[in-house]
Amino acid sequence: MSIAPDPDAGIPDEALLIAFANGDAQAARSLAARLLPRVLAQATRMLFDRAEAEDVAQDAMMRLWKVAPDWRQDEAQVSTWLYRVVANLCTDRLRKRRGGVPLDQVAEPADDAPSVAAQMQTAARMRALSDGLAQLPERQAQAVSLRHLEGLSNPEIAQIMDISVRSVESLTARGKRALADIMAGRRAELGYEDD
Amino acid sequence: MKMTDPNDDMLDGLFAQAREIAPPVSDRLMDRVLVDAVPPQRHNAARPGFWSGLLDVVGGWSAIGGLVTAMLAGFWIGVAPPSAVTDFTAGLLGDTVTVHLGSASGLADFGGLEDG
Repeated sequence: MSIAPDPDAGIPDEALLIAFANGDAQAARSLAARLLPRVLAQATRMLFDRAEAEDVAQDAMMRLWKVAPDWRQDEAQVSTWLYRVVANLCTDRLRKRRGGVPLDQVAEPADDAPSVAAQMQTAARMRALSDGLAQLPERQAQAVSLRHLEGLSNPEIAQIMDISVRSVESLTARGKRALADIMAGRRAELGYEDD
Repeated sequence: MKMTDPNDDMLDGLFAQAREIAPPVSDRLMDRVLVDAVPPQRHNAARPGFWSGLLDVVGGWSAIGGLVTAMLAGFWIGVAPPSAVTDFTAGLLGDTVTVHLGSASGLADFGGLEDG
């Protein structure tokens, strides 16, 4: 969708959230336009399921609206808080996915797309990556996704997960190792034998 | 020269592809999110105190106004009863009503018992 220019550009997220809590409807629109794309992207990268990712994004934003009256400006950044909430909501959904869901939920591209096979292969790989994350312990899945899917630094992840930087390093290292082993079993299926 | 693990390379490639994902926000999703954006009540809002609770019980300020008016009217009727009221009480009870609740002689009788 085309998002209108932010009339509140330059105002911190936290100040907008407090303005929203005080009844400023425009603050909510500005926050949604600013935050929702990133929230949806994080959920999609972890789940690779459009409907589930949209539900998570809506749920995360709903929680933000609810927490607004109790938000203390010096307590945390809205972006940090949202990363945590989305990661938790996604691992909840990944946990339910354990036990095996076939790859039939991968979105199929339109038939007249120029590289249908390539798009389907990419979609299958992304879904396989998401299913691989679902096999990891939840804290490892969160740390790996924040580090390697969101590209955040270890200190940022430590703040989001409320753990030490050393713990983040340990979680990401073990999680990535385990994920590599899981994905290794699907190399041929995902078309990597010829690469 | 450092050898790289092909599985690590595959995973790094998958991570890089995943980071490219940036789905557009549909109008439908934005509408869903904004419909939810109703400012909730502050949890630390002042709770109603005793007097405001009492006010609610009796029916608000308009009821208080009626109560004060009735109280003042009753007080004034007691201080300066209109002739209609005195005529009514005279007709009901007689012109003068005297009620004896006790007597000095009765108290003296008690005193006599103590002496005896």
